[in-house]
Amino acid sequence: MFIINCPYCGEREQSEFKAGGEAHIVRPKQPTELSDDEWAEYLFMRKNIKGVQFERWVHIHGCRKWFNMVRDTSNDQIHAVYKMGEKPPVK
Amino acid sequence: MLNYNSPINETKDFNNLKMSEESPIMKLVIRGKKREFISKVGKLLNILLPNEPNTSTVGNNISALWLSPDEWMIHSNDKIDKNNNMYPIEEDLINNIHKINLGAITDVTDQFTMIKMEGSQIYELFSNSCPFNFNDFKKKKGAVTQTIINKIDVIIHNKEINVVNLLVRRSFSSHLWSWLNDGAKRI
Ligand SMILES: [Zn+2]
Repeated sequence: MFIINCPYCGEREQSEFKAGGEAHIVRPKQPTELSDDEWAEYLFMRKNIKGVQFERWVHIHGCRKWFNMVRDTSNDQIHAVYKMGEKPPVK
Repeated sequence: MLNYNSPINETKDFNNLKMSEESPIMKLVIRGKKREFISKVGKLLNILLPNEPNTSTVGNNISALWLSPDEWMIHSNDKIDKNNNMYPIEEDLINNIHKINLGAITDVTDQFTMIKMEGSQIYELFSNSCPFNFNDFKKKKGAVTQTIINKIDVIIHNKEINVVNLLVRRSFSSHLWSWLNDGAKRI
């Protein structure tokens, strides 16, 4: 259990949130020109690293807004929280 | 107000805690992003929409609760006519906002149940199964939060010190009511 600082509501307990997978995955500009492997790569392949990861989260039981989070998956330490559309902070 | 039977038909009075359903209360959820939307709603309702997170404004007839940067709940302060389900405020908003695509107006009168709670043990009771930190909230008149109580989504509005409006989806209200009653017996 840990506290997440929602960029809209402030500090709330983790159980009010839901994780939404890896952040900053860009949709290919020309999907029709991709091979099946490349398309599958975009669609399904996600990083699952032990360490600092960029993720999307949603304050599902609060303001219901999506945002981004930089989290260390090994110890749940949160390095940064920032709104959708904003550039990720440099490490 | 549509014709429905509320699952809560009683007033409960425990030591230092009183609770009952407030009904019928008009409730609308309004959504919009533009500055024009906020100023127009303000003029139509004669109320300032709170833009500070987790706060509310209470006007003469209606209250506005902050739910999200682009979403508010508007509810009547007093009970409304039981046999009517069109409200002048809703019509005004639909004509001046919804119809010109400035924002969305949704009538949630029958979707949400409002439980009024009074007494010094309210937060003790909530804290039995709620992850929200009420330390600052209970001292701040007008504070609003959305959170979960016993895994049920709720909106909590601190109306006065030790007076709270608890809004819950109607389909969950019976379950939450039983849970509140059960917990209130033990505090
Ligand atoms: Zn939030």
